[in-house]
This record gives sequence, C-alpha cells and structure tokens, in this order.
Amino acid sequence: MFLPVVIYVLIIYYWPMLGVRYAFYDYTLKKMEPVGLKHFQKMFADADFWKAFFNTLQLSIIKLLITTGTAVIVSVFINEMANLFAKKVLQTVIYLPHFMSWTVTAAIFTLFLSTSSTGFVNETLKSWGLIKESIDFMHELTLWRPVYYLVNIWKETGWGTVIFLATLAGINPELYEAADIDGATRLQKIWYVTVPELLNTIIIVLILNLAKVLNLFESVFVMYNNRVFAVSDVISTYIYRKTFMTAIPNYGYTTAVGLFKSLVGCALVLICNWASKKVRGRGII
Amino acid sequence: MKKKVLSLLLSTAMVASLAACGSTGADTASTDTQSSDTQSSDAQSSDTTATQSADASADAGSEAAPAGDYNLTDLYITVDGTLTANVDNGQDAFIEQWEAAVSEKIGHEIKLHINQPEHSGYKDNVSQLLTTGEPGDGQYPDALIMSATMFKQYQNTGILWNMADAYANAEFQSRITLPSINENMKTANGELYAFAPTYGNGCVTYIKQSWLDAAGLKVDDIKTFDDYYNMLKAFTKDGQTGVIAAGFGKLDEAPYINYMPEFWQGAYPAIYQKDGQWVDGFQEQATIDALKRLAQGYADGVIDKDTEEASTKTAREKWFSNDQSTSEGVFTYWAGTWLRTLTDNLDKNDVDTDLGDDRLVQLPPIKEIKDTWGGYINREAPVWVITDDGDGDDSREQAIFDALIETMLDGDKVQTLWTYGAEDVHWSTHAESFTTNPDDPDKKKDYEYAEGEFHLKQSPNDPNSVWKKNHLDPVLVIAPLTNGFVDNDELVQAGNKFFTENCVDAPQSPSSEILTEVEADLATDKTTLMNEVVAGKKTAEDAIAEYQAKWGDTITEILDELNAQ
Repeated sequence: MFLPVVIYVLIIYYWPMLGVRYAFYDYTLKKMEPVGLKHFQKMFADADFWKAFFNTLQLSIIKLLITTGTAVIVSVFINEMANLFAKKVLQTVIYLPHFMSWTVTAAIFTLFLSTSSTGFVNETLKSWGLIKESIDFMHELTLWRPVYYLVNIWKETGWGTVIFLATLAGINPELYEAADIDGATRLQKIWYVTVPELLNTIIIVLILNLAKVLNLFESVFVMYNNRVFAVSDVISTYIYRKTFMTAIPNYGYTTAVGLFKSLVGCALVLICNWASKKVRGRGII
Repeated sequence: MKKKVLSLLLSTAMVASLAACGSTGADTASTDTQSSDTQSSDAQSSDTTATQSADASADAGSEAAPAGDYNLTDLYITVDGTLTANVDNGQDAFIEQWEAAVSEKIGHEIKLHINQPEHSGYKDNVSQLLTTGEPGDGQYPDALIMSATMFKQYQNTGILWNMADAYANAEFQSRITLPSINENMKTANGELYAFAPTYGNGCVTYIKQSWLDAAGLKVDDIKTFDDYYNMLKAFTKDGQTGVIAAGFGKLDEAPYINYMPEFWQGAYPAIYQKDGQWVDGFQEQATIDALKRLAQGYADGVIDKDTEEASTKTAREKWFSNDQSTSEGVFTYWAGTWLRTLTDNLDKNDVDTDLGDDRLVQLPPIKEIKDTWGGYINREAPVWVITDDGDGDDSREQAIFDALIETMLDGDKVQTLWTYGAEDVHWSTHAESFTTNPDDPDKKKDYEYAEGEFHLKQSPNDPNSVWKKNHLDPVLVIAPLTNGFVDNDELVQAGNKFFTENCVDAPQSPSSEILTEVEADLATDKTTLMNEVVAGKKTAEDAIAEYQAKWGDTITEILDELNAQ
C-alpha cells in the first residue's frame, strides 16, 4: 500500500514542482540558459515588485481580519435568533454569494457602482441629494480598497459563519444557564460566554488562513484597473502581467517571482504551525 | 518512523529529479546551439516528425529547389479571429476544400490543421506556443498570423524564416498590384520574415445620421476639431454621449491613436521615426496637448465614461445596441467591410430602420488631422510568418510557403477560399433564392441569383444575415482574384473608397530587443498615466515628467539601439 501512495505523490505533487528550476534560467524563445540568481536580483530591484508584495500582504491580512470579524458577529447574531425558520432562511441567503464566481461578482458590483446613468449607488445618492457628481468607486485610489473589502465581506461572510456556527452549537448550555442564574443580560452572556468559547476557533481560523495570504489573484484581477495599480497590484497579478501580457515573456523571471512567493508562503505556514502549537497544543502540519 | 522514511524518500526523489532535469535543460540548450551551428543531418532528422517526413523522392511542385526534397503532409497553422470561417461558421468545409485544392496544386495529399485561439488572447497564446513548443510537435505552428507590432518583436528572434527568396520567386509576383507593402517590410539586408497578403486598413469616424439630424447638423459642416467637439456636445444629453471608443488610446497596439484620431490629432504616443531619427512620441508636446483634449472631453462628459475600460467589442455593441438612450453618436472604427457590419447590426437592433444603408455617415478627416498626419492612419498590415526549425535546411519552410502562401494568392480556387470561404457553404455560383428575417416584415429581404452568378450565401451560424468575407478582404488584397468573383456590396465599396481617399500610412513599428523586453510594462505605465490625466487626477505635464523619471534611461537606450541600426 505504501508504494502507490509514494508514486501518486511524486507524480501529482512533486513532478510539476520541478519547474522551479526555471527560476535559475533564462527561459524564453529558443533559449534556455542558466543565469544563476539574475532573476532574483532583478526582482528585488524592481519597485513594482515590492509594491505588489506589500499590497498583497496588506490586502490579504486586512481582508482576513475584516471577513473573520464580520463572520463572527453575524454568527453570534444568527445564533441568538429564536425563529428557526428565519434563521435557516438567513443562513441560506448569506451563503449564496460564496457560490457566485468572482467574475460575476465583479461585473455586478461594477454595474452597481458605475458612474454612468445605470449605476444604482451613484443615482440613488444623487436622487437623495447627498452628492452632485458621481463617485468613481472603482477607479479612485482612496476608494478601491474599501470597495474591495466590502465586496469580500458580501461574498465570503456567509460561508465564514459555517465553522463559527458549528462551534456555537457545541457550547455547553449549562454555561448559559449558569449565566442566567447569575443574572447576566443577553449582551453579557454574549460577551462573557459566547465570545470566549469562540476565541479558540477564531484563532485557529486566522492561523490557518494566514498561511494563504499570498494566494491572492482572482478577486483582485477581476476588480482592478490601471488607475488603481498603486493600491491593488498584487504578486499574482504582477506575475500574470509579466507572463501573459508580454509579447515574448521570460518564463525564468516569472518563475523566480513565483518561487519567492512560495518560499514566503512556506515560511508563513511554518510560523503558523509554530503559533498553532502554542495556542492549541498541536500543529497544523 | 514510517513518516520519516517517507519524508526522506520524497526529499531524495525531489533533489535527484531536480538535478536530472537541470542537466536535461542544459543539454537541451546546448543541443539547440549545436544543431543550428553545425546544421548536422542528425539535427535535421530529429526535427522531422512522422507527419512531416523528409522524402527525397517526393516532388513538392515548387520551382525553388529545396522544397522538392520535402514532402509536407500536414500543415499546422495558428490564426486569430480574422479567419471568420471559424469552427461555428463552416471551418470544416473550408479545410476540406482547401485540402482538396492544395493537394491538387502541390501534387500530393496535405492535411490542414487550424489552431484558432480566442482573438483577444491571441498574443499570449502565440508566445506560449512558440516558447514551449518545438517544430513538429503538433501544437507548434508551421505558419501563423501576427499583427505588425507582434511581428516586429519576433523579427530578430531567429524563430522566423527569411522568405525573401521564396517571395521573390513566387508565382503571384506578376499579379501584385501593391508591391510596396511587402518590400517595405524587408530589413536593411533584404531579408523578409513575413508576408502581408493585404494592406493594413484603418479606422474612420462614423456618425449616426439620425443624431446629426436631431442636432440640426450636417457632416459637411464638421471641418475642424472645434466643429467636431461642438457636435459631441450637442449629442451629449439625457444619458446619451458624444463618442465612445475602446480606450482613450490603445497604447499596446499600433497605431495607438486610431480609435480617437480627432483628439490625438498629430500625436503618436510611441516610439516612431521622425525625420529619419527614432524618437519617443509619448514625451512630445503633441501628446501632452492630446492628453489635455481628452481630459477636457472627459470632464465635459462628451466622451463616454465606459471608454476607459471598454474592449472593442463592448464599445461597438454599446454603440449599436437597441437601447440608444444610453448610446453615443460617434464611433471611430474599421473602414470598408465594417461599414456594412455596423449598419447591419444597427438594423438587427431596430435602430433607425427607416434610414436603411444611410444610417451612418463617414466623417472626412478634420483639418487638424489633415495638417499633421494628412489623413486617417492606415495601419501596418497584419502578416503571415513561417517558423524556422533552425536546421539550416530551407526545404521544410519552402514547402510551407508553397502550400500556404503561394496558393493563398493563386487568384483562383484557394484565394477564393481565403477570401470568401467554402463554396456552397459561404458562397455559391448556383441558382438559388433565400430570404433573411422571413418572420419580420420590416426586415425581411429576398435574394435571388441565376445559375453562374457569384453570390454570398446566408451565414452558417446566422441565417438572417448574409456572409461577408473570410480572411482576405477582397478590396485590400495585394493581388486580386482572377476568376471574377466580386461581391458587389455598394456600401462596402463606398467605405473602402472613402478610406483609401483619406488615409496615410502609419509609421513603421520599431524592432528593438530592449523594447521587446519592456514593452508590456511600458504600455501598462503609459496607459495608467493617460487614464489618470484624462480622469483629471494628474496634469499632462506631471504625467510625462513621471514617465520620464521612470523610463527616461530605458527609452534613451532603446532610441540609441534603434538609431544605431
């Protein structure tokens, strides 16, 4: 039984990874020459790369904190709902956006926030007299990130509640009964019973997701544009442009960027593993 | 323990494979070099596949000696959307008839394999095919279509075949009416790495007649930029806008300014030749002035806001959509056949039905365009290139030329296939009658043709429209058909006549190694700066200063390289 597993892992997981060697080659038309660390030197000297790197970290981490926080709050509210039917309906409704593709999501929000006469938000704000000129939500440097976070909250909060609702369902009812006896109000029960019980799960969710913070592509790719590159370009979109929008790409360079991203990701996994061991006594790998 | 053994095994396998593959890569590189240097017979045979086998006894039917040694049995081509006989539109019949006709011409069986990636992703697809493939692997194209810009980037890479001799000896030479198109593509040493079967064509500005009427304007009165701008202002009201385009400028695709020529006027925001010297037009005052005009148009609302991110498809569909309440009056787009296509699409969407073929008027170049460029820009022609397998023997490449390019302009059967498509699928000479839109009394149109009369048939995937053309535009082709098959669409003819009377040739694209390496980043940054200026986020002067600070040294290097050539 041992051998088939090894063969499977070697072929499916390790064989494709051999492509990382191209990071040390000039790999372009009719040319495959070893160049040592040339691509890494070029990458570290490129201001656009560092901009993309820090944008990735910032967008990912803030998105993670916001969506996790929102999911916790919504989970607590859903848990507090007494009407079972309303609870089920609400859960279903907030799960749905998760199953929508990013392309469709971006198209909906682009229309919704458009500056043209079909843009619902701008037209509504104008009709209420709150603004005179349309706000270009998708193209303003200061607004793009808040819009990006909001879209992420809309799309992923519902799905994020699944794990927290499961945890909430497992809280010992005796704790709430004891709080009742002590005369705790509803808010006090949430604060002193529910939240502490959820804390371990919140930390685990954060830790597990922290390892994936550099894997940011689709959601940004479908929402960004030239005018907001400064705040939206991430490592994956940087790699995409260098590979697919260049007439004759050097796959060696983009492989080097990809390899660097993988190494940082790997380091994050190890850090999270260490953090996990500290928090819950066992690692994630 | 088992875990540790497994980890050790995997790590060892990984390291071993890396080392093994590393050496393979190095071997490959050295083999490539060796084969091109020594031109050994071993290298030749390794490049020859089962489908394209060398056959000394075969006669390829070409006058050029080397092609006679090569029996090309399978031809792999990669094409963009300009081959309109696509898989949904009768491509099977096109291939079948091409194979029959070309097999007869070259004296042996040949199979045609067409790879047609999605048009908008064509450039990416081609670069992947050419980088990761090898001649004869079934994916690697023997020949392919390239835009002029793409071609200039690939010209000096060594993967394209110098077809100068084949071109000079081609049978169609005696029938070429526009020799300068291909002669101008030759390098200083007389090498020719591409073949253009047509001239480039360009864009002209179309105005909806009904909008002019509603604004009380006449096209003859639009002579200057001020006239043009006032017309856009008159069109801009109640959700309607003056003009839409696919980007304020298309800075990643020559000739860059052709979708908004009235705003760009004499500017050329790219590297081009001026008075015999290569210069960067993006840093010129003309570009700064153009950006200011665009910014003003954007601020005044006469340029549709969707222009910033619209693709050509999005822009034209909005322009001819059946919801004209949010549409635009002006659209600058391709000349000739597109005049018919745009008119037909307005018709399909029930826009201005009463005007028939007079829905659109073509705006003669305004004074500022005439005074600078001299007219609308005729872009550099898209080309066909043949890939060089690097074995030093031209027989494979000559055979590809004979089968594909020589026959493409044979003036008869094969040229008709490339021009109009497959017989009795896209066109016919048999007596027949058909009706388009039979269920709509307003749009219903009857067609009747006598036996022997050449005519286009209903489109295979849309029986309510008549087929227009295949890859070659009969009016743009450099060697006309000799069989008398002409589509007499008056609107198309009028469109082509208008363009040829009002156009000038676009500047030649540069071919520079450094530029090829940075062109995508350069185009991205220029587009970003242009969009920021147009949206009022930066002044044109600040944008150009920012551009100079980031790209100044690189541009100087590129210009030095070009001017030293």
